[in-house]
Amino acid sequence: MNAPFPRRTLLAAGCGLPLLGCSARTPLPQNHFRLGVSGRPRSLDPRRATDALSSRLNRLLYEAPVDFNARFEPVPALMDWQQTAPLRWVFALRKSTRFHDGTPLTAEDVAATYASVLDPATASPHRGGLKHVQRVRALDGQRVQFDLTHVDALFPGRLTIGVLPRRLMKAGHDFNRQPLGSGPCRFVDANEQRTRLQRPDGALLEFIKVKDPLVQVLKLRKGELDWIQGGLSPELVRYCAARPELAVQWHRGTNFAYIGFNFRDSWLSQQPIREAIALGIDRAAIVQALFDNHARLAGALLPPEHWAGLKNWSGYPYDPGRARALLESAIGQGQRLSLSYKTSANPLRLRLAAIYQSMLREIGIDLTIQSYDWGTFYADIKAGRFQLYSLAWVGIKSPDIFQYVFHSQAVPPAGANRGHYANPEVDRLIEAALAAQMFAEQQRLYGQLQRVLAETVAQVPLWYEDQYAVLHRSVSGYTLAADGRYDGVLTMRRVQHG
Amino acid sequence: MRVLGLLARVLVILWVVSTLVFLMLHLVPGDPVAVMLGESATAADQAALRHHLGLDQPLWQQYLHYLGGLLHGDMGQSLFLQRPVADLIAARFPYTAELALLALAVAVLLAFPLGIWAAVRAGRWPDQLAMTLSLIGVSIPNFWLGPMLILLFSLWLGWLPVSGADAPWAWVLPAVTLGTALAAILTRMLRASLLEVLHEEYVRTALAKGASPRRVVLRHALFNALLPVVTVLGLQLGTLLGGAVITEVVFDWPGLGQLLVESIQRRDYPVVQGVILVIATAYVVVNAFTDWLYGWLDPRVRRP
Repeated sequence: MNAPFPRRTLLAAGCGLPLLGCSARTPLPQNHFRLGVSGRPRSLDPRRATDALSSRLNRLLYEAPVDFNARFEPVPALMDWQQTAPLRWVFALRKSTRFHDGTPLTAEDVAATYASVLDPATASPHRGGLKHVQRVRALDGQRVQFDLTHVDALFPGRLTIGVLPRRLMKAGHDFNRQPLGSGPCRFVDANEQRTRLQRPDGALLEFIKVKDPLVQVLKLRKGELDWIQGGLSPELVRYCAARPELAVQWHRGTNFAYIGFNFRDSWLSQQPIREAIALGIDRAAIVQALFDNHARLAGALLPPEHWAGLKNWSGYPYDPGRARALLESAIGQGQRLSLSYKTSANPLRLRLAAIYQSMLREIGIDLTIQSYDWGTFYADIKAGRFQLYSLAWVGIKSPDIFQYVFHSQAVPPAGANRGHYANPEVDRLIEAALAAQMFAEQQRLYGQLQRVLAETVAQVPLWYEDQYAVLHRSVSGYTLAADGRYDGVLTMRRVQHG
Repeated sequence: MRVLGLLARVLVILWVVSTLVFLMLHLVPGDPVAVMLGESATAADQAALRHHLGLDQPLWQQYLHYLGGLLHGDMGQSLFLQRPVADLIAARFPYTAELALLALAVAVLLAFPLGIWAAVRAGRWPDQLAMTLSLIGVSIPNFWLGPMLILLFSLWLGWLPVSGADAPWAWVLPAVTLGTALAAILTRMLRASLLEVLHEEYVRTALAKGASPRRVVLRHALFNALLPVVTVLGLQLGTLLGGAVITEVVFDWPGLGQLLVESIQRRDYPVVQGVILVIATAYVVVNAFTDWLYGWLDPRVRRP
């Protein structure tokens, strides 16, 4: 049969048609910044927000009574405070402030916000942090009084939830959909793909959801994004650092990665085996190879710069000879030990698991890696179904985390002592630190506590990963913070390149 | 009568699907409350939220509550986003439908010319070229093709946006990514079916009577070769309406697939149940439409 169709007709129909009329790249607006984030914020109501993205955006939308400085000490933000009795704290507004709708922010609003968090009907996840509050009330337009049931020297550091207008709370306003606070940025709008805020200078901050890290980088290269922070694989960070149109900023981080043990396991309940594992992992080599030295070796849950942090201790050194000797003393000469290690399905975590497996094989431990989706993995860890696992503590500021993680009464669901670590000395130190009224005394007790935790190898501290942001060269003025907060977007500006 | 029968079938399928999904979701390990409240929440807060969401009730009570809601047209409230599931699906479904139809259009635009070209030139180089192209199309995974298309058309040529759904031509790359794989299967199917029909007696008769080859292929042979192609198209449309997760993730297309995966990860039971119900409904409706199309294309398969 002869060809019934001219070739050109077929080619035109088959190829190229979808691309006709495609537009060229649009010029970058001067007062509009496009910021890439990997998800959408769970809640723009600060009473309900728990994820990092929501907390960081809520810092821009709302003002909280208290903030933290670089040593993680509570410092006045919206309010000053005074402890007028062992169980009474009075907070006073430092300046005249208005909500974005123009109404003044008063002590009544502060009291109503915290009363709302304490109300079980609000179902706020932050209620537990305020469990010692018996009563909160506004004394006048400027001052709020908190009455506690227990002595709590760390109390000011618990008032970090942004203040909402009492009038709107009473009216049942949905702050998640229409946030209204007194923070530096106003809420503009949000949909499935983006959340837009307006800076005091009128510039638009558009937080765009881009889930895939590779696509984030491609959008950054094309100029469709101006900034991304964290979430990339080490290879992608290296790639960005090598691109002339991109710049990578680094800052020392505080997120604490660790390996956890199950102390009910007959092998892992033995200190020599735990110590052998700690000595058998070459953390410095991992930090160098995988993170390009953009992480600090960790010795304890709180970083050394924390006011309660442990100074001059960065964990067990790599010593495979001693590790092997310790292991053999526990399981017998020439014997090998088989253990399982649970982790999430995150590619970087899996790669780390394979590295631990290889290193521990050298000292006589055969590690079986079990990886699950996050929900299953986390449920297993909480239920104590593991021998070894690895996780990270993110955004920890208060030292009462030690009670939550290491007190013998804090096994899930009461706390996060998932490995059932039980040490009467640690319990005593935690309770003494919580009851201490003097800052210096607390500092001493927490230091002592962390030394005991290190000596008993309660966990293997790994490292604090650095924070990083990748910026398109068309923007500057962004400053990173140790906890990854987004406050630096307030000073971001567009620059012209010739 | 046929409509009532279809409706009954749909209801039974949806009941079975919703029950299975409900049971499987609740049996999989993972706790939505733990995901929602994070690490620092106390046991009392977790218990309070669990009660608030009704997750502390026995499973059979939760099932009856869910089924009762469905009968009243209420798919429930997202545990995580605290918004009605119907609203979430209504926001995402148009994106999924748009991408599905555009991908199918791309597939048809690619597959029909290639398939017909391959069939009428069977055994010669156009046939071999078309089949090689379709083999490549089937073999390339979307998670690779997507970024390659982004590199070519967005970064090097600068013609199209990298991702998102807001820009005017944002649909092109995800539709081409999805459509390419579909086109490859359709091309092979169309070629095989058309080759079979082209050897029928009536085609030879039409040609002998002086009908032009173009008319014979398009008017006589193509219509008769369409039945298996329509079957594949129907299945493909059903799959696409369920959301193309990988393509949606690569191109940040806010469709049902992404919503489903995110909801499974955070154990947002009502949203997962709602999305799967919509996907099941889409499958059933598309299948019914395919059945109807059979009858229109070939009167022999019409029921008396």
